[in-house]
Amino acid sequence: MPPACRPGTAAVAAAVVAVAVALALRGYHRTVVAPAPDAPDAPLLGPRVRAWYRGVLTPFEDLLVAWHVSADHLTYAQLVVSVLAGGAFAAGWIFVAGWLTILAGTLDILDGGVARRSASAGPRGALIDSVVDRWAEFATFLGLGAFFRASWLLLPVALAAFASLMVSYTRARAEGLGIPMTAGRAQRPERYVLLGFGAWVSDLVAHLACPVVGHATHVVLGTAVLLLAALSTWTALGRTLSAARTLANGGLR
Amino acid sequence: MTAPGGIARPTGFLLLVLGLGLRLDSSWQGAAWLLILAGGAVAAAGLWTLGRAGLDAEPFVPRRAGE
Repeated sequence: MPPACRPGTAAVAAAVVAVAVALALRGYHRTVVAPAPDAPDAPLLGPRVRAWYRGVLTPFEDLLVAWHVSADHLTYAQLVVSVLAGGAFAAGWIFVAGWLTILAGTLDILDGGVARRSASAGPRGALIDSVVDRWAEFATFLGLGAFFRASWLLLPVALAAFASLMVSYTRARAEGLGIPMTAGRAQRPERYVLLGFGAWVSDLVAHLACPVVGHATHVVLGTAVLLLAALSTWTALGRTLSAARTLANGGLR
Repeated sequence: MTAPGGIARPTGFLLLVLGLGLRLDSSWQGAAWLLILAGGAVAAAGLWTLGRAGLDAEPFVPRRAGE
């Protein structure tokens, strides 16, 4: 049985997150990346944010390579963590679910980094990584659906799950036809961030507002799900149109 | 090069936040307090290392991360 309102703990958690964000901004401003042209369908998280986070993870990659942890182990760990995230969503442990979602996204980045550093990157690993990613996303969305099972938000959760799979499927199909496909506003890192931080903020707001409202409400998580569904659908459709246009212009190899 | 305390800070933050999450939503209050104390100690050690090196020392992350 989940405990009642905890506004004090929520305030402490908000302060901890604020300190971490301040330190992250410090690192972000000191991260230098090569200038890239602005594209209308570039990912929402730009190259500087991605470079900053890879920088945060660099010492962890060193450690994992030194400990002989393989990229496959990290890929499977990501699946386990995603299943746990789904379970946490289903149980109503929203803050923990957000934490697990962000950890799963981090493991998804780490497995590629470790594969490159240990020179073990190859088609087999790429296949397992892609397939496990889809199962992992499905597991998380399944738990999210269980949390919203009595709400109309179940439909946007289903749409977000389907559209997220379509974003990846469209890319795979297009690349199978020889069309490079890396653009798109809401790719996997964006989805992890939106869902993970959305869950964090939602639970903090729920606990902070609980004494006033009288019960926990997850309006923020619902909004994050709506955004996720809209952005993923937009990205999947955009990729489909882009690939179709390229093929119509004779882009097939 | 990574900033001083480059592993301790993120690790401590992750443990601390997980502990706070368990404290907020679960009935696992013992595990929550354990994680809060452990995470707080590790994060404080990381921040202490960074503070001793000076705010103008190496950044939180490598300057040319990802390049």
